[in-house]
Amino acid sequence: MKFFALMKKEFHRFFHDPRLIITMLLPGIIIFLLYGILGEALNSEKEARQYHVYLSGNSAVTAVISEAAQKNGDSVEWMSIDDREAAKDAVHDGKATAVLVFSENFDATEGGNVDIFYNASDETSAAFYSLATSVLNVYRVRFTVTSESLLNDEVVGMQILCSILPLLIVAFVFSACMSLTLESVAGEKERGTLSTILVTSAKRSHIALGKIVPLACISMLGALSSFLGTALSMPKLMGLSLNMLGAYGFWNYFFILLLIVSFVPLIVSLIAVVSTYSKSVKEASAYTGMLMIFSIILTLVATFVPALGDWTVAIPVLNAVVAMQGLLAGALPVWQSLVSVGVNLAFTAILVFCMTMMLSDERIMFGK
Amino acid sequence: MQENEAIVRAENLKKTFTLSKKQQKIEKTGERRRVAVDGLSFSAYRGEIYGLLGPNGAGKTTTLRMLSTLIRPDAGDAFLCGHSITKEPQRVRDVIGFMTSDLKLEGFFTPDYLFDFFGAMHGVDKATLARRKKELFSRFGIDKFSEVRVKNLSTGMLQKVSLVISIVHDPEVVIFDEPTNGLDVITAKVVTDFLEELRRMGKSILLSTHIFSLVEKLCDRVGILLNGKLAAEGTLEEVGKGDLEKTFFALYESEGGRL
Repeated sequence: MKFFALMKKEFHRFFHDPRLIITMLLPGIIIFLLYGILGEALNSEKEARQYHVYLSGNSAVTAVISEAAQKNGDSVEWMSIDDREAAKDAVHDGKATAVLVFSENFDATEGGNVDIFYNASDETSAAFYSLATSVLNVYRVRFTVTSESLLNDEVVGMQILCSILPLLIVAFVFSACMSLTLESVAGEKERGTLSTILVTSAKRSHIALGKIVPLACISMLGALSSFLGTALSMPKLMGLSLNMLGAYGFWNYFFILLLIVSFVPLIVSLIAVVSTYSKSVKEASAYTGMLMIFSIILTLVATFVPALGDWTVAIPVLNAVVAMQGLLAGALPVWQSLVSVGVNLAFTAILVFCMTMMLSDERIMFGK
Repeated sequence: MQENEAIVRAENLKKTFTLSKKQQKIEKTGERRRVAVDGLSFSAYRGEIYGLLGPNGAGKTTTLRMLSTLIRPDAGDAFLCGHSITKEPQRVRDVIGFMTSDLKLEGFFTPDYLFDFFGAMHGVDKATLARRKKELFSRFGIDKFSEVRVKNLSTGMLQKVSLVISIVHDPEVVIFDEPTNGLDVITAKVVTDFLEELRRMGKSILLSTHIFSLVEKLCDRVGILLNGKLAAEGTLEEVGKGDLEKTFFALYESEGGRL
């Protein structure tokens, strides 16, 4: 009954304060809108360009340029030159896109020359120049240009998601847990309202759980809001279809959710312990900031150090990040995910025990 | 239970604090340890108001904090309604109501919500809680402010709400640390009248104060606390010998205090 009264109080505090609800849910909505708008701007459909290019001399590279233009949704019309100066004037006046003049036997001889005349102030002309030079640069050093991508869009998307999303999830979970837990634990301690609860006959363990359980539930809302905002807007930001999210199976999503569900109470209890130890919200914020930086460093290690090994499952935060990366890469690391969830919950239990001990410690609770 | 039964029994309580470097500097002292309470023993009986009288730093608040189980004694023990503060702190918290300026109420909530919350925290059933809320809120004029957030209440009303919440579970022992500090005369009168009412109801009330008039008005027995030790104890007549203030300062000087 006492435990439920404590939980009810925390939920009441949150759900009766519109500012707290907005603070918790807004980041996800903002991320979704912002990434969506950004993606829209970056990947908006451009009008198909038609290049009218005067050509002098012969080279197989013209076929490659045509193919590259086609890949971008553009097309090239090659026109023969009667009068080079007249052709250049046409480019200058915007009536043609560019003039390409290949030296004799361009393809057969080393050191062959090509002259390009274009109009830098004309967007179409400048775009063709960019396209032609990029193809020529490769062609000149005898690289083979293949127009077929070895990776499909979904795989590219997965690779980006599995390197970025875990980092964002750690940051979002931390920020969702931080404001609420600091205010509820360190804030109550600083204001003396926690001592009023300590004078009742509620067990210290119930007080600790009565804080951590509801705070974890509420923080979960914030973390999920941010996660959904990011996951739904990320494909758009990368210019991919939302359908790519369908590339993941049910179990991938299930385990990602399970990892977040085990990760949030861990972070909440960690911040709660730090808050109980600290004398003020300010002091607790400083400690929590350091913990957040440390967690992000662990996430970066997992992102940039390849094949870390199975030992990572024993390290909280790192284990969840590594498991999430596997899941977002399209794999299904079942045992790794389950052990990570178990380790996170075990660490949470240890932290709840630490908080219980701290609540009974007069030097921590009432020390000047 | 008998009228003369010792409801509160402190036996040789001792509490020492370690002074931080900062505190040593502020107090201009080189001592690392400060004895706040030194072998304190006393008893308070059913249906009486017992006053701990002493200057600032005498150990009054430390004693009350030990009795309310917020801090543990280094040595000795105390029994409230027969429960040991060192061995059964949770049982002790069930039978006491503790009010001090250090314990605050969360400003976001209303008196109505907090009364229910602290009632639940003490395991009071809903019917009893509703009855007590009606009685106490009406008695203290809180009913008109029951849905006003605590942060918006006046100091006097806040003190009344704190008082009512501290006794939500109808405790046998009521412990008040400086009960009238910072109150206007009207609210102070309401509080002292209520303490007398609690005494009539057979509760044991333990209060700490440095105000002679409050002791003379309310207390049945008094213990004078100087440097963590009980310098005198007994009824007002026994201790005060007609002039409590004069007796107090005589004791204070004999203990090495300077006026």
